[in-house]
Order: sequence, then C-alpha cells, then structure tokens
Amino acid sequence: MNRDVYKELLEFCEFTEEDLAKELDNFKYACNQSGLTEDDVLFALNDWIPKNWNVQYKGVRKMIGALMREFIDVCMTPVLKSEGKKIIYGILPAYSNLYYALKYAAGPDVYLSFPDILLTSVLNGYFHKSAPYLNQAEDDGITPGCRHCPLNKMRFSAYTSGLIAAPDVIWSWGFNCDEGPKTDELIQSLTGEEWNYVISRAPHDSLYGVDDDTIVRRVEFVAEELRTGFNTICDITDIKVLPEHFKEASDNLNRLSFKVAQVTQMVCKADPPIMTGNVLTSIASFQLFPYNRGLSFMEDAVDTMIVELRQMMKEGKGILPKGSPKVGCFFASAPVPWYDRMFLENGVCTTYSLTTGIVKKQLSQEFISDDPFMIMAETWLRRGTIQNMGSDVESMVEKVLANSPDGVIMGFFDFDRWLGAHQKLAAKMVEERTGIPHFYMESDFYDDRDYSQEAMRTRIESISQVLKMRKDIEE
Amino acid sequence: MSKVMQEIEKLALGRTAELKKAKKEGRKVIQYTGSFIPEEYIRAAGAEPYLICRGGEPEPPEVILNDMLRFLNPLARSMAGFYKLGTDPVTPISDLIIAHQSECHIGRITELLEIWKLPIAKVGVPVDWNRDFAFEYYVGNLKEMVEKIEEVTGNKVDDTKVREYMELSNQVFAGLRKIDSLRKKENPPIGAAEFIKLNHYSYMVEPKMMAAKLDELYEELKDAPGKFDKDAPRLLLFGHAVAIGDYIVPRVFEESGAIIVADFLDEGIRPYKWDIDLSGDDPLRAFAKSRYLEKPPVNIFQPAWKTRFEYIKDLIKEYNIDGVISYQLVFDEIYNMEYTCLSKWLGDIGVPLIKIETSYEYTREAMAPLVTRIESFIDAVKEGK
Repeated sequence: MNRDVYKELLEFCEFTEEDLAKELDNFKYACNQSGLTEDDVLFALNDWIPKNWNVQYKGVRKMIGALMREFIDVCMTPVLKSEGKKIIYGILPAYSNLYYALKYAAGPDVYLSFPDILLTSVLNGYFHKSAPYLNQAEDDGITPGCRHCPLNKMRFSAYTSGLIAAPDVIWSWGFNCDEGPKTDELIQSLTGEEWNYVISRAPHDSLYGVDDDTIVRRVEFVAEELRTGFNTICDITDIKVLPEHFKEASDNLNRLSFKVAQVTQMVCKADPPIMTGNVLTSIASFQLFPYNRGLSFMEDAVDTMIVELRQMMKEGKGILPKGSPKVGCFFASAPVPWYDRMFLENGVCTTYSLTTGIVKKQLSQEFISDDPFMIMAETWLRRGTIQNMGSDVESMVEKVLANSPDGVIMGFFDFDRWLGAHQKLAAKMVEERTGIPHFYMESDFYDDRDYSQEAMRTRIESISQVLKMRKDIEE
Repeated sequence: MSKVMQEIEKLALGRTAELKKAKKEGRKVIQYTGSFIPEEYIRAAGAEPYLICRGGEPEPPEVILNDMLRFLNPLARSMAGFYKLGTDPVTPISDLIIAHQSECHIGRITELLEIWKLPIAKVGVPVDWNRDFAFEYYVGNLKEMVEKIEEVTGNKVDDTKVREYMELSNQVFAGLRKIDSLRKKENPPIGAAEFIKLNHYSYMVEPKMMAAKLDELYEELKDAPGKFDKDAPRLLLFGHAVAIGDYIVPRVFEESGAIIVADFLDEGIRPYKWDIDLSGDDPLRAFAKSRYLEKPPVNIFQPAWKTRFEYIKDLIKEYNIDGVISYQLVFDEIYNMEYTCLSKWLGDIGVPLIKIETSYEYTREAMAPLVTRIESFIDAVKEGK
C-alpha cells in the first residue's frame, strides 16, 4: 500500500504535524502490537468510523484522537515496564477521582488507566476488532456459554497475549458485579503472582428502597474498603498523594464534567437532533476510567464540540429531520457504535445515558462525616447503579423526567448479574412512573459477536416504528 | 434404603405440615438462605427455621424470566420461581425471610421477593474475608439480624438457649462426620445421593431427634457391607450446591459404576467438619468465626481458589479420590471461572475432572447425552486406575 493509512487516520483525528512527529511511530507500534493491520486501519478510516460516528464534527474527530492517544499508551505498557516505569490499572466502575489523584501525584513516571474498557472502546468502537481477544479468552477458559463480561475477557487476553504488561498493582473495585475482581484472581491463578491485585468490595445488602448512602454502617464499611484499598496502592507503588493532588483531580474532573453536561443538555434539547448517544458516552468516559494523558485532549474535543453544536442549533440543522424521536438509554454503547447508527437509519436518535446522568442528591454537599473517605463512600453510594433496585429505579425516574425523551432503551448488560439482572423489571417500573415508553432490548454493551447487526435490526426497527407512531399521534 | 434412613426421611417430609401447625399455634416461621445465617438464633427466639435451597425442577427458574435476566443461576431463580408458581408451601406462611447477601444472583432475586412484598431481612457477607473490618461488618450484620428476629417473634433471644441449639448443631455435625467417615472405606455403605439427602433432612428434622437418628444410622451402617462395585472409581463432588430435590446427577454417577465418596459444596450441605467453638462467651462471634474464617472460603470469597484447591488436594488424599466432578449451575459465572483454574491445577497433578452443568432440565432428551458423558468419564477413570 502506497498510502500511509496510519498517518491518515491520525490526521483524520485532528492530530497536528507536531503531534504526528511525536505519535505516529508509536501509533504504528500500538496497531502492530494489538494485531491491527493496514487493512484494519483503512477499514476504520474509510468505513467503520465515518459510518458509525458523527464525524462531521471536528470535536468528535478530536474525541477519537484523545482516545487513540490512550490506546497508544496502553499498548506501550510492556515497553514502559521494561524502562522501569510503574503501572497501575483499575476496572469499572470506580471512583475515578482517586485514580486521577494518584496520577497527578506520580506524574509521567507512572502509567495509569483501565486497560479493558480502553481497549474495548478503541478496538471495537473504532476498528470493530475486539473479537480476536474475546475469542482468545474464551478458548483459554472464560467460556462463551456462561455469558461472562467482555471487559474481563479483554483484560485477561490482553495480558496473556502480551499486549499489556503486568501491573505493579491493579485496584479492582467490585461494588457492582462479582466477576470483575474475581477475574483478577483468575488471571493471577493462571499466570502467576506477577498479576498483583487489590480489591475493594461490599455486599449489596440494603433493603429495597432504602438509600444506601443513608445507612451509616454501610457508608463506614465502604469508606474502610476505599481507605484500605487506596493506602495499599500507595504503599505498593510508593506514591504519596497529597491534598493538592485530590484538589487538582477534583477541579479538573468537575470542570470537564460541567462541559460534558452542557453538551448533554444541548443534545437532549435540540430539535432537530444533533448528535448520538455513543458520542456522549465517549466524552464522559474520563469519568468512567482515568486517562493516562490527563484530561486536556478530551477537554479540547468537548470545547470544540460545544461551539459546533451551538452553531448547528443556531442554524436549525440536525442529523435527522425536525420532530424525530429521541431516546435515552440505560447506557448508550460506544464500543458497539452501530446500535446508534441503526436507530438513526430508522429515524430515531439516541441521546443521554441513565448511567452517566446524575440526580439532585448527588450534588448535595451534606455528608455524615468530614472524613474524606467517608465523603467518597457516601458520594459513591448515592449512585443509582450502586444502590438497591428500589433506589436505582427512583434515580432512573428522576433522570428520565429531567430529560423527557420519547422513549428509553434498556438491556445492554445481559452479561452483568448486577447491572443487567433487573433491567427488564426496571423498564416496566420506570415506564409506569413516567408514562414514557421503555423498551427492553437484550444485547451486549461491549461485544457484538452474539448480537449481530442482522440479529438486532428487527428489534431496533420495531422499537423505532412504535416511537415514530407515538410521536405522530402526539403531534 | 435403610430403616433408619426411611424414618429420617419421613420426619423430614413432615416438616411442611409441622410448620403449618406451628403457624396455626401462633409460632413464627422464618426462612433463611445459605450457610452464613445461624438458624440457632431463630430456634432460640421460639420460631421455626426453614432453609431455602430447593431446586432440580425446570419450571421454577423459567417462570421468572419475564422479570429477570435469564443468565442468573437456576438455584437463585428457583428461590422466587417456586413461589411464583404457587408450589412453595412455606414462603406464603413465612414471617421473615433472611437472605445472606454475598453475590449478585441471590442479591437480585432477593429484590424480586421484596417487590412481591415478602418480608425480607438481609445479612451482608463481605467477600474479602481476610480483612478484620470485613469480619466485623458481618458480625454487625448478624447482630442486626438477631434484632430483627426478636422484633418479628416478640421474643428476646436468650444466649443460653442459643448455646443449647449450637451444641445440638455440633451433635448433628458429629453424627454426619461419623457417617462421612464410613465413606472412606474401600467400599462404603452409603453413597453421595443418600449422604446429601441426609444433610438436607438435617435442616428439616428437629436437631435433637436428628442427632439421635444419625447415631442410630451410624450404628446400622458401620459394619454394613459396601453398596458399590469392587474397584468402582472414587469421586469427589465439588460445586455450588446440590439443591433439595436435585439428586439426579449424583444418582446417575453412582448407578453408572462410580462412588462419590467426598463432597465440597458451598450451600445446601451442613458444614459438618467445622463445629462451632462454644468455649468463649459470645456464641454469635463463635458462629461467625466458624463459618467465615475457619472453613475453607466459599467460591465468591476473595482470595479463595488457591485455598480451596489446597483443601481439594487434602480431600483427594484423605478419601483416596480417583476423579473430581465439578457440578455447576448454569450461568454461575464465578464457579465457571474457578472451574478453569481447577481444570488446570488438577491436570497438573493428573486427577481427572468432569464438568456437569445443570439448568435443572432432566428430560429424556437431556438425560441421554448426560448419561453417556458420565459413563465415558467413569470408564476413563477406571482405565486410568
């Protein structure tokens, strides 16, 4: 091939000449290490990314660029390790502030991110190429018939294949599912002590409808889990995190979160629709997993997006005709971006995600204690997804009413015995409370091998038809 | 089946009628799940305990699928399914259901019961068992559970009575241990299908009576001839649970020429090898210590699998095991992951392993390939012997 498709892809992602001089070789290395061929890169550039992402926006292209930089870094971890740099991993869902504080304290000598979600987002979201890793994990013992989490499969095989290095430590949070932290036990059991992990976990023991953050013993227990986990990580890595690092993390996260909330509001309100939910998931991903490069690249992307979206709204332009239905999602999938495209093809636009939205309670500054880990624990336990189903449904109702979509899609987490187990029932309950139709669509947020485009098309078409008919009747 | 075994079975099968009678007489009925809830406190409060661990039928796990994810394990789904089908005689008369909360399957199903307005109490069991504060959290949760039992029954729990019931539990354990020791014989007089049933019955029969019957059974069995073929492969049954009513798989193994001489199950079986140490002054902590710290960690605990494998190796030596059955509930993802480790580790020491996965579907169509697999495995183990 005479073309340098690697360079073209990075240019498409708004890398400057200066960026290219620094990043291109490493990007080629990352592609090679991860098994991406020139053809794969060409497919991403010409087909997959333009077809599934709102790339008419420079902000979206920059957003992809920000995640490509993270992809480069995670693929470089074996090199970094050989150079003596420390490596810290984590898993979803976690309180990203703590990880950012660690990063700010440690500086460039430490690599820090959550490799499984990062690799899945990039490899599948932009190249449609996570299947080889998932297949490998299944061949090696995380068997397909049992419906295991694709992220855990990715973490397992990314390590066993040599794509990522063993960490100095991985801090595995297990406040939702059981499988995430147990995967680290699996990796260690099968590959050896080099895969060093620390867990923070708590049982789901609050009664239905009793908010977890109001149960003092529970908050104290989660605080102790966080304190123990965090202190152990600091001891292992010899990182000293000072109050100013927490402040830096908090200030930066809050600033970018505010901007992402602005974008979300615009996307929810705009008529005609201006952007799809997979982009909203991607720009909020810094809250889900820490970026090794920090937040500046994503912030630049979001700043650019805000200007572009305002202009679109001002001109009355959109990606669908005015009056098209908009749906919220339990979580709009970025790793499987074609769900959104398929809805668009059927005249429906996906928008915000219940999981990334917040409720009023989460903004409260009143806490049981002024101990920082107690505050973190209480804040953490205010999240609907962490709480029992009764409280989770309450927070879903608040979020749905705040955004007034024409419908809500649930069911992207069929592999998750916590997040996915109750969604059928939650869909019925939230629909009853809000009067907004909810649709349960059994599918997978990360992996489209079992739920192919052909298999999902009929379901998406029928949901879209119902939404358009309702919209027509309303009008 | 022996005469004593028949008597025990008769007593156990009368448990539901006993509960209905107790209810009519004004006593409270309290159900509980798992092995982390001390039934002795329920008895000491004057209430009737009943273990929820029924399974082995295909309809109950299916009937809740309109409400819940299909990838939950069938034992957890059965907990709600029998009730929804109207074939659970105890839940409708229960004054309280105490559910241990250590993993998501049971967690979400418990919520379904709460939505159905059943009276639920939860006992959180943290999985990081090697941390002191996790143990204290579990103990604190047990204390709250005792308060709830007192509230429901209107009776203050008396520690002296608790001790008496714990002593009786220890006697039941001792009886089961003695019978279990007979399984170490070259040709045991009792197989796993019966031994597991015996454990199940021990949850239903009044403990003093059960302890006495176990002694009688031991006397009957201790010099009885073996029930199995000479040189039958000796197997270990490992897994989450053999539910009450789910006896087909152990039976098929034993009818196909093997003997299951040892078990390592996390639920639905008495932890008969670990007495509650009552030498201290706090029976609640003694119970917690026994279940949480002293016995090998349950699968969901972390870390667990290496410790569990060491225990399996001990069982292999102690019971002269030729092969291992991993009995897995379908979609039980954490057990499935442990199986991967077990497969590697047993392979390293040359012990054959078979995974049998159940969805509680035992139709003729499902049984034929199952029996063939089991027979082939037994043949292979025999050859290896």
